[in-house]
Amino acid sequence: MKAVLDSSREYAATKKKNHFLHNIKRDSLLYFLLLLPIGYILIFKYAPIYGLVMAFQDYNIFEGIKGSEWVGLDVFRFIFEQDSFYRALKNTLVLNVLDLIAGFPAPILLAILLNEVRQAAFKKVTQTVLYLPHFLSWVIIGGMVYLMFSNSGMINNFLAGFGLDKIEFLSQKTPWLITYISVGVWQNIGWGTIIYLAAITGINKELYEASDIDGCSRLRQMWHITLPGIKSTINILLILQIGRMVSIGFDRPFVMGNSLVNEYSDVISTFVYRVGISSGDFSQATAVGLFQSVVGLVLLLSANFIAKKLGEDGIW
Amino acid sequence: MNTGKKKRIAILCSTALLAIAAAGCGNSGKNSGEGASQTAATESAAASGPPVTLTVEVFDRGVQGQPDLNNNMWTKYVNEKFGKPNNAIVEYVSVPRSQEIDKLNVLMAAGEAPDISFTYDGTTVTRYAKSKGIYTLDELLEEHGQQLKSYLGEKVLSYGKYEGKQVSIPGKRTLLAWNGMFIRKDWLDKLGMPVPTNKDELYDTLVAFRDKNPGNVDNVIPWATAAAGMNYTFGNLVQSFWGPMTEEEFVTTTNWLKPGHKDAFKWLNKLYNEKLISPDFALDKTTKQADADVTNGKVGFYAANWDYPLSQKIREPLKQNVPDANYVPVDTFKNDEGKYLKEVYNENGIFSFIPKSSKNAELAMKYLNWMADPEVMFFLQFGEEGVNHKLVDGIPHGIAQTGEKMQTSNLNMDYTPIVNGAELGDTEKNVRTYAAALAAGDKSYEKLATDSYKINTTDGYSSFNYGVPNEANIKYGKTLGDMNKQMIDRLIVAKPAEFDALYDKLVKEYMDAGGQAVQDENVKNYREVQAKNK
Repeated sequence: MKAVLDSSREYAATKKKNHFLHNIKRDSLLYFLLLLPIGYILIFKYAPIYGLVMAFQDYNIFEGIKGSEWVGLDVFRFIFEQDSFYRALKNTLVLNVLDLIAGFPAPILLAILLNEVRQAAFKKVTQTVLYLPHFLSWVIIGGMVYLMFSNSGMINNFLAGFGLDKIEFLSQKTPWLITYISVGVWQNIGWGTIIYLAAITGINKELYEASDIDGCSRLRQMWHITLPGIKSTINILLILQIGRMVSIGFDRPFVMGNSLVNEYSDVISTFVYRVGISSGDFSQATAVGLFQSVVGLVLLLSANFIAKKLGEDGIW
Repeated sequence: MNTGKKKRIAILCSTALLAIAAAGCGNSGKNSGEGASQTAATESAAASGPPVTLTVEVFDRGVQGQPDLNNNMWTKYVNEKFGKPNNAIVEYVSVPRSQEIDKLNVLMAAGEAPDISFTYDGTTVTRYAKSKGIYTLDELLEEHGQQLKSYLGEKVLSYGKYEGKQVSIPGKRTLLAWNGMFIRKDWLDKLGMPVPTNKDELYDTLVAFRDKNPGNVDNVIPWATAAAGMNYTFGNLVQSFWGPMTEEEFVTTTNWLKPGHKDAFKWLNKLYNEKLISPDFALDKTTKQADADVTNGKVGFYAANWDYPLSQKIREPLKQNVPDANYVPVDTFKNDEGKYLKEVYNENGIFSFIPKSSKNAELAMKYLNWMADPEVMFFLQFGEEGVNHKLVDGIPHGIAQTGEKMQTSNLNMDYTPIVNGAELGDTEKNVRTYAAALAAGDKSYEKLATDSYKINTTDGYSSFNYGVPNEANIKYGKTLGDMNKQMIDRLIVAKPAEFDALYDKLVKEYMDAGGQAVQDENVKNYREVQAKNK
């Protein structure tokens, strides 16, 4: 009996192995092509991880990692003692949460609306126009924002023409936050619809036809067919977005920020830029980067866990 | 057959991609190979053999119509006169002016900084010296830099020392004025007002500019400024509010805690809230808006560099847009003792140093030494007679040039790090020369320059040279510098009722973030220096 079991196990193992080899052989070309992205990730994503040891050193740029002195957790201690670090962390979270609230549903709505547009030409043109801002650099957008929203900018001049008070879009907390978030939504909304539109295309057409026959209204179709059809896509994108909650792009807060709103616009990326590149303290910059990645990972895992508990597909 | 063809195409594509990737990797390998051959060449140091490449930093100021910074009249001269005899090729590595320190940090960390690198920031040099990332220059200077040594002199060289060792070569600053304040004389004449001589008169003048709009322009700006001031200051306004203090306090106390400092910002705050200061100044991080306002003739008064109205970016457009505009230098911030106290520069300019990664330290020193030759320096500052200048009474008058004969910085200071300002022997001549060189000999500018220089060196004091680095400043300096700028802006735009509370809150934050540590070390260092001098 035991012998039989053993041999069957062995058999299964060899079969599996053969299967694996067989697969590789069958699709050798595909695997060959895969080498390139794998190489890219190894060289540019895994190899630099070695640099993380700088966070535990008093890093001397001339001695390099090998010659620098080990200081344990001193660098972290120094960072966690700084008020400006907590401020940067808080601002990063606040800006990202606001971005999530305003920026996440926007492309979904837009995609559903675009999907309802009958005239193909109009739809194409609208889509293209909405994509465009995505390809503008933040430096350019920053210039446009300044021209439109500054105290002597277009909108305030317009208001002044009607004898209205000026609104300090760029130099006071709440108006600045609103400007910051809206400009972000404006820039990303078109681009964000691409994935959702693709997901909508994947929904079985027969469902719509059947509901038409049953006399279902347009709105009902959106609610009962389109939305559930792209639910899993929404889920995955949401989880990914939550994983990115502690990381924030550099350009947008750096370009849109100024000294008057620095209390709200100084985020982790600008903090890292300031201590790391401008002051040449690479240990601190690395430590903050490491901290950011760890928190990001925790958030990603918890979001995934919750999604699975709620019976949805996680990202793995 | 079809799949076979596809396969071949795919393999071809992927090999091509791999080849590109490999080429990308290979590049660095090739560079290091070159580096190795360079070392060999320096070691042999013979006049024959392949030439050595000496790399030298140069600022890229993004001047309109500027030539290739590594291939123009000046670099050709250097390569002809210095490169050829020394069997070297001098190559200029450009670094954006506004991000010089960021870029330098990256270059230094990567071991790719030019053989001669420089910065105006003394703290950065100290930080490199402390990490042992740059050469100590005493022996090199002794051996290959005698001409340079005698040109700069002990005093100037002392600014480049760290722990008694020469770690950088400071440039010699021939003109010491820093800030200058200027007012529209033609507007004053129209209003029948005199040139203001104190704060109250200036205030009345600014109000008159606002209410009577003598230039008849849209959105008149009585006092133009940019984020944290057009030149990191508001002229000597702040100094004029300072109360009496001991010399030790004057030198070591953080400005924010000096008696009267708060009142200075309160006054600016009042002016801002009465719409006497540029409404968007805090958003103007690059001073571009302030420049535009000045050259469009909207501005009555401003404080900037003492030579700001002479510079080409202001002089030419202003002449075109508003030919009648006449800015004259003024001295209007008088303190209680009746003095016009203002900060002037120390005698040093930019700090040049040689990174440890350099294989050509000896040649680098020879290059700096060669530049101290009066003939060489004259050519680099003023160019060729008849082309870049004409001599009038022994003073070179500049001829504006475009293309490869253009100077991208005042008197080519970016190519001549050992000197800052005209160098013709004596100060008065230097000022006149400076004005003549910048304004192509236009007499009215010469007067403007000499007046401005005189005003802006009157009652001047320069920052104290401790001679030892302030460790706390190395650690917190950059953060404090950033905070400083933000505090200035926020205090000026604050609501008047909230000013006092905000001032106290911000200053406390500043002191907690390292301001106190810097000040304590300043006091300690100051006392040590004083004790030594006694």
